[in-house]
Parts: sequence; C-alpha cells; structure tokens
Amino acid sequence: MIKTIPNLCTGCRICEIICSLAHEGSIAPKQSRIRIQSAWPEEERIHLCLACEPKPCIGGCPEGALSWDGYLRIDEEKCTGCLLCREACPYGGIQTENSKKFPFFCDTCQGEFQCVKWCPTKSIIRTK
Amino acid sequence: MKAEFGGYAGKILEVDLTQGRVKRTSLDPDLATKYIGGKGLGAKYLYDHLPLGCDPFGPENLLIFATGPLTGTLAPGSGRCIVSTKSPATGFWLDANCGGSFGPEMKMAGIDAIVIKGKAPSPVMLLVDDEKVQLGEADFLWRKDTFSTHRWIKDKFGEESRVACIGEAGEKRVRFASIISEMRAFGRGGAGAVMGSKNLKAIAVRGHCPITIAYPESFMKACREAFNEIAIHPDSGGGRQKYGTNTILSCMNEAGVHPVRNFQKGIFHGRSALNEEEIREFYVRNKACYGCPIYCSKISKVKEGKYKGAFVEGPEYENVWSFGAHCENADIPSIIKAEYLCDLYGLDAISTGNVIGFLMECMEKEVLEESDIGFPLEFGDNEGMIRAIHLIGRREGPALLWGEGVKRIAQEVGRGAESFAIHVKGLEMPAYDPRGSTGMALAYATSDRGACHLRSWPIGAELLSPEERIDPFSIEFKAEFVKNQQDLFTVINSSVTCLFTIFSLSLRHIVHFLHSVTGIESFASSEEILQSGERINNLVRLFNLREGLTKADDKLPQRFLTEPLKDGPARGRLVDLETLLKEYYFIRGWDEKGVPTPETLKKLMLP
Repeated sequence: MIKTIPNLCTGCRICEIICSLAHEGSIAPKQSRIRIQSAWPEEERIHLCLACEPKPCIGGCPEGALSWDGYLRIDEEKCTGCLLCREACPYGGIQTENSKKFPFFCDTCQGEFQCVKWCPTKSIIRTK
Repeated sequence: MKAEFGGYAGKILEVDLTQGRVKRTSLDPDLATKYIGGKGLGAKYLYDHLPLGCDPFGPENLLIFATGPLTGTLAPGSGRCIVSTKSPATGFWLDANCGGSFGPEMKMAGIDAIVIKGKAPSPVMLLVDDEKVQLGEADFLWRKDTFSTHRWIKDKFGEESRVACIGEAGEKRVRFASIISEMRAFGRGGAGAVMGSKNLKAIAVRGHCPITIAYPESFMKACREAFNEIAIHPDSGGGRQKYGTNTILSCMNEAGVHPVRNFQKGIFHGRSALNEEEIREFYVRNKACYGCPIYCSKISKVKEGKYKGAFVEGPEYENVWSFGAHCENADIPSIIKAEYLCDLYGLDAISTGNVIGFLMECMEKEVLEESDIGFPLEFGDNEGMIRAIHLIGRREGPALLWGEGVKRIAQEVGRGAESFAIHVKGLEMPAYDPRGSTGMALAYATSDRGACHLRSWPIGAELLSPEERIDPFSIEFKAEFVKNQQDLFTVINSSVTCLFTIFSLSLRHIVHFLHSVTGIESFASSEEILQSGERINNLVRLFNLREGLTKADDKLPQRFLTEPLKDGPARGRLVDLETLLKEYYFIRGWDEKGVPTPETLKKLMLP
C-alpha cells in the first residue's frame, strides 16, 4: 500500500519527473503516473493509485478490462477508452494523455517505487 | 538540433509585438555550446541585436525569457527561468531570474527562449500551447493585479498553464517593476516596466513535449548523489529548509552588516522581535520550485490584526530587511503585507523598501517635508510604509517621482539627498552593508546589473562558512574570489539552475549534469564550462561599455566611502574600493579603465 501525507508535499514535482524518467526515459511530467495537481495559490494535491480496497476502478469498468496482480493491469484488447475507471477512482490515480491510447497508472516500478525513493519530504510512503 | 543535443528544446520563439507576428526559429548549436543558455543566450542576443543606446522603454528594446539545458530536468533547482533586457533602472544590462514552474513549462512547450521585440498597439497577452502560439487581447486585464490576472488565465486556459505577468506598476513603468510568476518574481532591475512599455500584460505557457536526456543513467546517478549532498548539508538540508532564506538573519545582524535606517547603522535593535524564529511563527507550510529538494520557500499568512489576510511565498530575508531593519520596522505582519502588495502590484520588494527607507531619511534630514509626501513617513512607521507602497504600485501623486527609484529621486529633490542615495548604477542595494564586508563592496561595485548580491556573494564565505572563512575586513584575495564566483554564478544562471544549490554542491556536480543531460563533449570539462561563464561575463561587460559604462560607474554610494559605520563589529570602517577595483580589473584581464584587453577577448573567443 501507498500512503500520501499531503501536508508534507511542497509541490516540487520530483515524483512526476522521476516517474516519467523511469517509464519513458525522458522528462515528461504530463506522462507521469503520479500527478501533483496544482490549485494555485492553494496547496497542491497528490494523485496516484494507492492500491486501495475495494478498488472501485475494477468494478467501474463496464468491459472488465481491469484486473489486479500486484498492481492494476489493463487488457488493451478490451479497453474502449470510456474512462469510467478514472471517474470511479477517488484518488485521481488513473491518468490519461493525448500521446497515449489507453489510461495508465502506477506499476510500482517493479516494486521499487521511484517516487517514494526520491520524494524529499517523505510525503509519499509505503505501508505494509 | 533536438537530435543532436539533449536538454535543449532546439527552438527559439520570436515575437514581434508591433507586427503582431510570431515565428519559431532553430537554436544555433554553436551558440548553445559557447553560451550554454539562460543568461548566456540573453547576452549573445542582446549584444548582437540591440541597437546602440536604445531607450529601455522603446519598442526596439528586447525582452528575452530564456531557459538553459538543465531547466525542467531533475537537476536540483532546475525550475528557474532568466529574463534579459536593457534595464530602465540602470540603462545597462539586466538579467533577473525567477523560480517556480514557468521555465520548465516553456521547455515542455518546445522552446528554449522567447525573444520579444516591438510594442503592441493595445494590451495583449502571449499564449503558448505547444505548437499553437497566439497573441490575445488583454485590454480587460489591464490595471488588474497579478493574482487576478493569474486566476483569469488559469480559469480560461487550464490550471496547468504557467503564467508570467505584470501588475499596475509594470504598466505604469515604475523603474523597479517586477514580472510575477505565481507568487515568485523576476524581481530586480525593472523588467516588468519593459514588459509594460511593450503593452504585454502576460505570457501563459503550456506544453507536453518530453525533455530528452542524452545519458539518462549517468544523469540519474549524478542527481542521486546531489540530492544526498543537499540532504546532509547544514544549509540546504537544515537551516534553509527550516527557516527559508531567513536562516541567515540573526547571523547578519550580529555581524553588524544588516543595514538599519537606510544604511546608517549595521545592527537592528528591534531584533528581539525580528529573528528567524519569530518569523517562522508565520509560516504555514513549505513550498518548493519545480524539481527542487531544498524547499526554501515558505507560505506565510497573517491571521490576525490590521494586516490580517496578507499571504506571501516568503517573506524572504531580503524583504524582511528592506521593509524591516531598513525602515527600522520590527512589525512582522506589516512586512508580510508589504511583500504581498509588491506581488500584487508587481514591484521589486528590495528596491521598493529601499525607496521608502530613503524617503524616510529625506524626512529625517528635512530634505523633504510632510507636505511633499502627503502623510507622516518616519522611520518605524509601518502604516506610512504600506501607504507608500500603494502609491508606488499605482504610481499616484508623489509616487509619480518615487517610481523612478532612489537615484532619480535624489537627483530631482537635490539638497544633498544624493549623499545618502544608496544605489549602484541606479539599482538599489540589498541587505548587506559593504563596510562590514570588503567582498560585498567589490561585488556591488562590479556587478553587471548594479547593486546586487547574486552576481557574487562573498559574505557567505566571509561570515557563514566555517571551512573557508576569510577575513571580512581584509582586502586580500577578494578580487580573485569575486571574479571566480561571478563566473561560477553565471554558469549557474546560464545552465539554468538555482544559486541556492551551489552552497552544498560544486562545479563538479554542475558539469556532470550538463554533460549527462546534453551529451555535449566540451560540457564535460570544468575548465571549459567555467570559461564559458567568464566569456558571458565579458560579453556583458562589452555590452555595458558599448552602452556608455565607464570605470566611474563601478563605484559605491558616497556613504560607504566617507561615513564610517556607527556600530557593531565593523564600527569605524570604510571601504577602500580603489585598491580592490584595481586588483579586480587586473585579475579579469581588463585594462585600468575596466575594458577587456585584446588578449582577454582572444582567449575567450570574443566578441
């Protein structure tokens, strides 16, 4: 499980940077699986998949395209791009971007959780 | 160029406001290799394209927003952006920089720099949405404060749009108007007034282009190492995170270099109410610029009293001083209110505080009378101070003159006011008394944009660094120190990252970042990179000389040469600038008039 502590977040977006570096090999915060949503001048909000229970995204998908195996998986054959999964998620954990055909989300960086490793204020942490 | 180098977007956006035309041109790879980016890029453009002796408010002046190869990357402090122009305060070179997310967003919109010339016939805003660039009407935003302007743009074009805009002060050409981006500022030297003179209210950018990294593994390793260094360093990982820039407040005051009453004294006796612990009481949360692990920014709020509701990203050390000790005011809520108003009107808070402290001394010395000001304005009067800021921001009544800055106010009022007009080249001075620091004396006198503590900051080594502590009163090694640090700081401002990282990192880290991000071979050499810094500083010197600068401009205000400091450890001291300057010119490879010699220019491959 991942836990966020929003009042420790400084809005530096290092998590977005490292996430895109780890997955895309370049710096593309708008393709990151974690998002720091700006609400200037108010506090930023951290959006990512928290591996919550009972995973309303899976139930929310009318095509049954989502499943869970350590992290959320998508069956691209079944996904129609309706984005009801995104609406079902209360944590803003499902992302989309023009350059990508399907919704995307945290894949744990092979259990390494780069965002957790690099967050300077420990506002994203792993719990058991 | 994109295929060639990492880090750069490879494009320049040229905007002609007179013609209402925009175009994208390619960034010349040789130019990038020689001048890196940021300040270097601005210097090359201004030197090559600015007509000699142009009016800073004329349409021919250029306003250049530039990123560097490190902007928007994971390199610590990479959130910054540089603006370069001819300064209306000094009539010479100006670069001012701002943190936040504006620079990274420019890069992600696929542009390294925006070069703006001309003047729009009526107020406009520049909107950059990846490839789509347009000039939109902004009549209805004119006279709106910077917060309302941000809000309007973000509501219309999306929360993720990043904005740089001016307030009323910039529109009315206050010579120390700033450009505001979220709650941060391109502060010094009047870039906001240049933007106003062009009828350009705001720039909004949004982009989705990835930034490529030439050697990602090497780069991530360099960043990991740098993040660790920053986390364990007592400044970047300690005091600066806890207190923000106010971490040095008590130290500077105790050293007797925290100027009081317009530089009449060096220790603020209101200190019981003005130290970093007291200011920390107003912090509500930490804030960081894009990509920065230091989070030196603090959001402060005034929760009660007559200044209730004021909030700032700060207050920064410089403004705690300019509206505090400088005006002999120990009331923290009024300082927060003052900085808040500077953000709203788009005013440089260092110069604004300076102007008010100077007016207070004019009243004290009876150079001006209450009828000239319109209300009482004595040292310590924070209500008068706040009133004066409103007038300056709106440039109303007597502030028609005040908006010209200390140098021009003194010339206008005469009656000996010039003897206590504290500026260099027309730019007001920041929070360190040069009589207590020979390093700062030389740094101020030789800074390319006038009195500035960010071209070189020797007082850090003189007072704060136990391992390299050098005598603050001695003139030995100061010329060499200032020259080397100016070149290093220019590398940082061209790369572009934040000066606050350099107290825990070194040139070695910067070179590792530059090389792994860009893949440019010559960027792997510390010597070559430092020489680029020296090259840029010399090009800026050539620009300033062409604009009429002489040795007589590399000076300090009369007060520091003739009035010994009255209190503190530096009591009785004056500055021996002539000796310092002579040595500095020699070390720079400049002749006795301060002109780079042909050998120096040849070595640096200039012009």
